[in-house]
Amino acid sequence: MNGHGVRWLALAVLLGLPGALAAQEQGGLEARLSARGLPPDLVQEVRHIATDAESRGVPAGPLADKAIEGWAKHVPAARIVQALRAFAGQMAEAAAAVRSAGLEHPSGSVIAAAAEAMGGGLKSDQVQSVVRAASSAEEASPGLSVAASLAAQGLGANQAVTIVVDAMRHRESMSQLLDLPSVARSMHDQGMSAGEIGERLLPHHGDDGPGGGEHHGDKDRPPGVPPGPDHPAGPDHP
Amino acid sequence: MTDRRAFGPGTQRYLDGEPFGELPADERAAADRLAALASSYGARLEPVDAALDEAVMAAVRRRGAVPVRRGAWQWLVSSHRVPVRPVWVAALAAAAALVVWLAPRGPAAPRGAALAAAATPDTVFVRFELVAPGARTVSVAGSFNGWRVDALPMVRGAAGIWSVTVALPVGEHRYDFVVDRTRWVPDPTAHSQVGDGFGGMNSVIIVGPKGLVRS
Repeated sequence: MNGHGVRWLALAVLLGLPGALAAQEQGGLEARLSARGLPPDLVQEVRHIATDAESRGVPAGPLADKAIEGWAKHVPAARIVQALRAFAGQMAEAAAAVRSAGLEHPSGSVIAAAAEAMGGGLKSDQVQSVVRAASSAEEASPGLSVAASLAAQGLGANQAVTIVVDAMRHRESMSQLLDLPSVARSMHDQGMSAGEIGERLLPHHGDDGPGGGEHHGDKDRPPGVPPGPDHPAGPDHP
Repeated sequence: MTDRRAFGPGTQRYLDGEPFGELPADERAAADRLAALASSYGARLEPVDAALDEAVMAAVRRRGAVPVRRGAWQWLVSSHRVPVRPVWVAALAAAAALVVWLAPRGPAAPRGAALAAAATPDTVFVRFELVAPGARTVSVAGSFNGWRVDALPMVRGAAGIWSVTVALPVGEHRYDFVVDRTRWVPDPTAHSQVGDGFGGMNSVIIVGPKGLVRS
């Protein structure tokens, strides 16, 4: 082979690599779905949705997870496809929100967390607030999950985002951040209202906010619950 | 050509001019004949040019040293100069990368599937419980085990309380209980319940490094 031929061969190999990589990823996705017993026509549908999603910068992994979940729950194939299309749309919207917050190349986990948060009621600007407050790209994903979880516990999206952003800005540890849903649940089980839980979880807010001052209810505080004002027994609590 | 085996050791030493003593008469006569033949042969040779030695050595130096035969191991461990065009290096590297990428792989592990018998520093033991006195089987299926119904069977305890303790990675997990392998039941003690996109509900827990704070 002369020098010219070698150059063309090297160029062809280098140009073919991305395509081969994409084909390998798709092959991995199909193999994974097939290994879980999804029928070939459903696998093809998922592959089409995943390919389309990836062209919009949306990761295929969470879509495959969702398809497997639906199949495990014996959801009809048509409904799985419908749910995947909706989820892909949510993730595309979430990816746009995350990118507009300054995270130009978000990981799949951040996009999935943002999509699930938006599916749980957070708006695009609230997702952006959490992403901007995160000190690193790795912190954005758990921050979004915690905000979504707090919102789902009834705190309301605004209050949930405020709590998470506050915790991040005050450089609370990842452990403290991840503990927030447990703490909120514990407070709820003790009979506190969502508003009271929100107040307790915002120790850095306002001068009159709880900051470690002595309250006579402190001794009854569950583990992990920050100190705060005593909560009156509301009419909606036993 | 004379067969050297015809010489006795005494004859050989006699011809070489080494002191030996007296040879038997017949051997001495044979040795003298040989010596005379050698002398007459030498007299017929043309005198050697004095520059011949130098010319031969110059030719040897031009051709380099005579290669010594070595084993394969010697060849492998010794250094060699291999002329290679840089473009071949790039092409071979690309081809190797292609082979690596195209190599068959097993199915990717599901998200959060790092379920282990023993907890690592990034995993925390979490205990799941469900009160289901009438159930025949109960298991936990979720994002951490690829939603496999049989992956985490729970054990029935007193008063119909089913439980299992598993090591979960720190982070968010979605799951449900599966009662009698058919009914997907959300965990009433989970942090929250969210729609699963299929018309059902998923339980959500967020596991921190310290585990779950239970009331």
